[in-house]
Amino acid sequence: MAERLSFSDEVSNLLYAAHGNPLTTCIQCGTCSGTCPVVPYMDHTPRRLIGMITAGLKEEVMASNTYWSCASCYHCNVRCPQGIDIAELMYALKRLSIWRAQHKEGLIGPVFSETFVKTIFKSGRSYEPVLATSYLFTFGVQEFLQEAQTATSLMLKGRLPVLPPRIKRLDNFGRMLRRIIPMGDAK
Amino acid sequence: MNSQKHLLIIDDDPDFVAGIRSILESANYLVDVAYNPKDGFEALQSKPYDMLLLDIMMGRGAEGVMVARKMRKDPKLRELPVLIITGIREQIAFLFPGGPVHPRFVEVDELVEKPVEPKLLLERVSALLQSAQAKKASPA
Repeated sequence: MAERLSFSDEVSNLLYAAHGNPLTTCIQCGTCSGTCPVVPYMDHTPRRLIGMITAGLKEEVMASNTYWSCASCYHCNVRCPQGIDIAELMYALKRLSIWRAQHKEGLIGPVFSETFVKTIFKSGRSYEPVLATSYLFTFGVQEFLQEAQTATSLMLKGRLPVLPPRIKRLDNFGRMLRRIIPMGDAK
Repeated sequence: MNSQKHLLIIDDDPDFVAGIRSILESANYLVDVAYNPKDGFEALQSKPYDMLLLDIMMGRGAEGVMVARKMRKDPKLRELPVLIITGIREQIAFLFPGGPVHPRFVEVDELVEKPVEPKLLLERVSALLQSAQAKKASPA
């Protein structure tokens, strides 16, 4: 019987189609962590997360909020001297944590992505007023009011749709999606 | 009787693979594993297998579906029986709460959902192998 796959191999299998170099080439220089604009919100920096993956600390990695905090600015990718696709790694971990239902409780990221995909599936377009409610209530009163104020002025200027937008020929779109994900009712 | 049947598993979940692998091996099947679709497809092309056990959600998304479709286009691999074992319903439950997986959207021989009972798994595998053999023996 062959050896069990390590966590680091599991992650590299998730990344098999990414263009970057393998995580094992990381030299732990910390450029990614120094570059990342959202490090203050992460419980482990990207450098540390890569180190933890290589060390096989699966539970700690899956329980961290690092990959859900990632803003996908791709600055780490640009500056990584080893050419590792760090932003794609964060996406891979997001996928993995949703598939295995292992992410931390109370994060905005998973709920936000799920709501986003749901609205796209339903109407073919994203609809901000619905999207915003997925995270708005986690804010404090002041931020909440500020957001509401911004939304109102955006709406008055016609920059935010009042009614949810719908694309034409939604049926075709639905069929297309079901070619990709073979689920739901057969129509 | 003829020799051991050679199976290939393409699945990215090492825990699940370890489980079904030991079930299949104890039932005297020869089992190979590929942990990503690319390695899996290369393995399929390099060696003749008797059957493929395929996961759906791998790598970038629903890549198992792509593997199944690619196989249907390959004249050599078209005949290979494919059993999809998927946890897709749980994995994207937020999209289709309670929605069924529709095998008719992917052309495969059979589909079972994770978690799969060992008895059911062995039953399906042997049934598929038998029907594939019958097909080979008497081409319609």
